Amino acid sequence: MVIKMKRRIMKKAAAVLLSAAMVTTVLTGCGKGSSATGGSASSGDGGDDVLVLDVFDSQANFQGTQPGWFGKYVKDKFNIELNIIAPNVAGGGDTLFQTRSANGDLGDIIITQLDGNRLKDLVAAELVLDMTPYLDNCPNLSRYMTAIEEASKLAEVDGIWAVPSEVSELSATTPCDALEPTVAPSLRWDVYGAVGYPQMRNTDDLLNTLEKMQASARETEGSDDIYALSLFKDWDGEVMQNTDGIKGLYGYQQIGFCMAKVDGTDIQSVIEDDGIYVKSLKFFFDANQRGLVDPESTTQEFGTVQTKYKNGKILYSLWPWLGSGQYNTVEHTSEGKGFATAVIDDMQCLEYGCMPYGKMALGIMVGSKTKQPERVAEFIDWLYSPEGVRIQGIIQNYACGPEGLTWELQDGKPVFTEFGVEAFVDNKKDLNITDEWGGGSWIDGQSWLNYKSVGLVENDPDTGVCYNYLKWEDYADKTATELSKDWSQHYGGALNTIDLLSKENKMLVLPGTNYAVPEASTDITTIKEQCKQIIVEYSWKMVFAQDEAEFNSLFDEMKTTVEGLGYEQVLAVDRQNCEDQYAAFEAAKAVSK
Amino acid sequence: MTKQHLKKKSTESFTLFLLIVPFLILCFLFAYFPLYGWIYAFYDYKAPLKLSQCDFVGLKWFKTLFSNPTQVKQLLTVLKNTFAMSFLGILTSFFPVLFAVFLNEIKCKPFKNVVQTLTTLPNFISWTLVYSIAFCLFAPSGMLSSVLIRLGVITEPLRILDSADHVWLQMILWSTWKGLGWGAIMYLAGIAGIDQELYEAASLDGAGRWQRIKNITIPLIMPTYFVMLMLSIANFLNNGMDQYFVFQNSFNKQSIQILDLYTYNIGMTGKSLSLATAIGMMKSCVSIVLLTVVNFVSKKTRGESIL
Repeated sequence: MVIKMKRRIMKKAAAVLLSAAMVTTVLTGCGKGSSATGGSASSGDGGDDVLVLDVFDSQANFQGTQPGWFGKYVKDKFNIELNIIAPNVAGGGDTLFQTRSANGDLGDIIITQLDGNRLKDLVAAELVLDMTPYLDNCPNLSRYMTAIEEASKLAEVDGIWAVPSEVSELSATTPCDALEPTVAPSLRWDVYGAVGYPQMRNTDDLLNTLEKMQASARETEGSDDIYALSLFKDWDGEVMQNTDGIKGLYGYQQIGFCMAKVDGTDIQSVIEDDGIYVKSLKFFFDANQRGLVDPESTTQEFGTVQTKYKNGKILYSLWPWLGSGQYNTVEHTSEGKGFATAVIDDMQCLEYGCMPYGKMALGIMVGSKTKQPERVAEFIDWLYSPEGVRIQGIIQNYACGPEGLTWELQDGKPVFTEFGVEAFVDNKKDLNITDEWGGGSWIDGQSWLNYKSVGLVENDPDTGVCYNYLKWEDYADKTATELSKDWSQHYGGALNTIDLLSKENKMLVLPGTNYAVPEASTDITTIKEQCKQIIVEYSWKMVFAQDEAEFNSLFDEMKTTVEGLGYEQVLAVDRQNCEDQYAAFEAAKAVSK
Repeated sequence: MTKQHLKKKSTESFTLFLLIVPFLILCFLFAYFPLYGWIYAFYDYKAPLKLSQCDFVGLKWFKTLFSNPTQVKQLLTVLKNTFAMSFLGILTSFFPVLFAVFLNEIKCKPFKNVVQTLTTLPNFISWTLVYSIAFCLFAPSGMLSSVLIRLGVITEPLRILDSADHVWLQMILWSTWKGLGWGAIMYLAGIAGIDQELYEAASLDGAGRWQRIKNITIPLIMPTYFVMLMLSIANFLNNGMDQYFVFQNSFNKQSIQILDLYTYNIGMTGKSLSLATAIGMMKSCVSIVLLTVVNFVSKKTRGESIL
């Protein structure tokens, strides 16, 4: 009897254990369930139930449910909540993309690159949905059909697979920025004035000027932690990314291990002696030798750098948007302080042209596993509508925001509201939005998608002027400050940097083409991965080398190592890509004419 | 034995077998099933394609690693770091033993508990947080440099985290700081298990505290130490990568890149998943060989097997 009881207990125990194990395996076995929640699964009309959309977004810098006023707007309009999945936040490069795609579901909306075989692979792996059946209900997307078809061709399968970003109805050689080109020597104009607006013939003169400026700023402010330059490693890729701010001054863009001048005249290897990349490193090295580089550059992150700009600790900005975006507040500019572009005689600043075919490096797609594709397509269509562009466009890109909140029409022209003035003219960072719009912070509640659907220098059909408020008359009137007056006076009444540089012929526009960088074979990619780790590593070491001899020996070491790894094979591929892009330039320019 | 007996016995064995089944399943799922992933090493895998859509390349990735002198040189540097870190780890593995022995000698119970808790705690701090502590202390604008500059000892901030000097030493100090208390727990348990009569007898024979440690405590916890040592030798190539991952930067990469980190750097952040798998595979094989060798040596020299 006792034995029987014991056996029964044991059996029971075994059963319990087994089921526990089964539960564990089931739980660990299946990953994330379906993301579309809601009561009635059979709702065909949509809109009845809250639809939670997982958005896999390579560009997003925040992760989680879209909060704030943009979240509320989308919820009210579409009854949709956006759950942003951001590889940038998760870190580890492509890891999140790889694991999620291995799982067979990237998300309901996918925002990632289209070129480099990415779209082709996504379609082949059945991760993307063909949008053809839903396009009839997409009046806004149909305006950009040429671009969409061009992008979908990259899939090499018939269908409408992706919508490229930043599509434009302007010509390929129109600068796509409003006031400042992508790269320009932007420095603290007040300090530049304090040292007597020295003329700069080349980057050597720039260094001399920066040295004087640093000394002057330190003396005026009475603090020793002001530096001319501050670097960061966050965006390093094939090369040390910060060099972009120097090589861009001479019209070079980087494609893989090539530095290509955007007028189509010169293709250099990254490791070429006296090439533009090594010159850029040498510039940073010289700056460091003269004590002009922030010693924290080696360890800090981009966020820290932003704070330093905000606090006026850095005097030179590698890209105009960085310094002016942080420092040029109303308090500063009204005192004549702030970042502005100075002219170096031999420069040819890099600027991107508008993209009639959109930007193949980033596009938006519908995920194949989505439950309600028609509602997803409707939402994407809205992103490309004038209202969508204004609201969704992120603040850093100068999208004008929702009508009624930041601006209103007066005599047919857009004019800032009181809130708009605080947000855009005064650049208030801690601005709160009214409860009517959902309350909360203006900045934190903006769209987390970080996606430019349409180029912002485009004309808004609803207002007849540009989406980008920097080009509005009202903006020019309201922002005339001591700083802008002084700058304009110094450069003979120029309206803005782009205006000045195009007149003086000191800007090279990279024509916006439909050229998409093809993906290299895995052999090449593997070598490239190894080489780029070496190049980035040695670049940093070279910049912070003790002396010129060490700089040169590190450079030689870098060359030998990457050449040993098979650098030449990668270079040949990149060089071919540059040449193909040059050919596409000519085609785009011909279309523009 | 009757037939019934036999039947009874077999049902009983079956019931007993059922008891271990859940653990067998778990073991299979988490230790053997992942080995299926090794298949990636033989394909030219590219996310997001399915494996069936990729080319079979055989041993190509294994050959790639040795394809030219620079590759080999890279691998050798990485192996040098791996061996150095493991070797230093094994050298310092005696610290927890000493720590446990000395801790055991403290007679004031509350003090002993406080020390033990404080030294065990760092084990539960993630490496990411450890790095933020390190950053606050040793970055150019960190506490150390600021204090020294204010005192006028130095004029330029110290380069500690972003320098290629003494990387191994730094790393071993951090991991010792983090693991000392935790590592001592096992030895403390071992010491607690030692028969008190031995100590009493020794005291009667006039042995002092030092002699008791030398002749009783240490010899009796040696078996535990050896098992731990064997295991760590078998894990020679597995340094774990989180510590090195958070501390790595362009300046110390040449000395900090250990095998696990190298695999991660070129496999995950880079796109060569197949190559990374191939390295991982070779690593596992070497580990198995090392474990077998160590076990064999252990059997021969100490008459004990750990497998």
